[in-house]
Amino acid sequence: MKTISLSTEQAPPISVPLRFFAAAPLFLLLAALMLVYGAVNPFADIHSPALLAATHCITLGFMAMIMLGAMQQILPVVIGSPMPASRLTAWLTFLPLIFGALLLPAGFMLGKPVLLNLAWPLLGLAFITFISASLISLARSPAHNATKTTILLSIIALGGAIALGMLLAHGYASGLQLPYAKLATAHISLALGGWVLLLIVGVSYQVVPMFQLTPNYPKWLARSLTPALFIVLMLSLLSLLLEPRPYWIVIVAQSLFWFMAGCFAVATLRLQSKRRRRVADATLSFFRLGMLALLCTALLALATLFFPAVDRLGTLSAVLFLLGFAMSLMHGMLYKIVPFLVWFHLFRGGVKRGIPNMKEIIPEAWMWRHLWLHRSTLLAALFAPWWNAAAWLVALGLLLQGMLLGYALLIAIAVYRRTLERIEEDLP
Amino acid sequence: MCANMARELDVRGLPPPEPFEHVMRALPTLPAGAVLHVHIDREPYPLYEVLRDSGYAWQTTAMTDGSFSIRISHSA
Repeated sequence: MKTISLSTEQAPPISVPLRFFAAAPLFLLLAALMLVYGAVNPFADIHSPALLAATHCITLGFMAMIMLGAMQQILPVVIGSPMPASRLTAWLTFLPLIFGALLLPAGFMLGKPVLLNLAWPLLGLAFITFISASLISLARSPAHNATKTTILLSIIALGGAIALGMLLAHGYASGLQLPYAKLATAHISLALGGWVLLLIVGVSYQVVPMFQLTPNYPKWLARSLTPALFIVLMLSLLSLLLEPRPYWIVIVAQSLFWFMAGCFAVATLRLQSKRRRRVADATLSFFRLGMLALLCTALLALATLFFPAVDRLGTLSAVLFLLGFAMSLMHGMLYKIVPFLVWFHLFRGGVKRGIPNMKEIIPEAWMWRHLWLHRSTLLAALFAPWWNAAAWLVALGLLLQGMLLGYALLIAIAVYRRTLERIEEDLP
Repeated sequence: MCANMARELDVRGLPPPEPFEHVMRALPTLPAGAVLHVHIDREPYPLYEVLRDSGYAWQTTAMTDGSFSIRISHSA
């Protein structure tokens, strides 16, 4: 038997995660604008400024915004340890992130070094604040579970990705002589394969069984998968230091990495097929789409290793990972977490009557519309490297998704405020 | 007599927020000295914070099947 000692830090107020979530859809609109105002088809050239700018709008402005906001709420729930000084941490993360995520893509798009030199210190401040606060939270946590280990590994990967990203942005802006190709490979691997994939895996260990009512992930898988992914990722990165880079190490490390990522997708899809309540649920469908996309990414990444001469396979696997896997899961998680937060903060505030049911906070019809829109955007993105018109459809899809998600989140915020106001009016 | 009273509440297999809701509805009816014995799938950290703020004490036991058993009572 054990007695839990809780941190004296309070869980953050609802305004902390909601401000991150409310800002994120704006960056989908910006990403769409970058794609439209770029070259004829930015997807045809992975190094095009428009694609680089749109990608950073999505990875920093949309994905990191959601992940950093969600972590401030997830840490107290899954490891029992809120971030220190939650309001100050939130502001020191949110403000530099939003300005940095606006300036960096603008710098890429317009080719203005001054914008890049303004962006990277701001982004550094945002992420250093977030990483420091997360490490303190992890150190204080009484939990001993696979999610805690996985969050730690993902934070380490994020630290590396951000350090390299700052160096790259400073290098581009100042014309420094750097091994850009190698640094960019390491930056992308740590950001997507380390931070994004590991964090999603760790959070899925909790969120999938809890919200989707599936059996738990097998213990051996939960314990060993993310440390193994991390070790293989490090092995692949260390090979970058060797000149020439031994190709057999790349083949072995990346084959193992994508095989394990594919196994995670299969394990999640199998668990979802065993869920206890078999009712249609848009958030579950977002999750399943994401896992199918991860499986396809893994297969494509393996194909790219063995058929490097096939043009644009790499672009396709990156599109599948970002739009298919990561973005699908973030939409799915937002539509589950935001109604839960609104309900929880009303209920724990002492309100026992007149609280809307969780399913009434964001109408499910909006979630289904969003799912169909997201599927269409993804389909267009798969053709975009070869078909110019599809790039326009991707931009249109991102624009509409940003508007729809933003509207859905505003509905949730309005429900929260309206309910609070009604309660205050009812008070004697 | 109250000290020996224990109420059982099994919220395993319920989706959020139902486990939290069931516990919060059961607590006001818990007599002084009685114990609410909750069986739950995951360790409910947000519940602990509410319990602490509302003047309850609790003891958590991790079960071998991965679930948790929590004994909640009024603070002394």
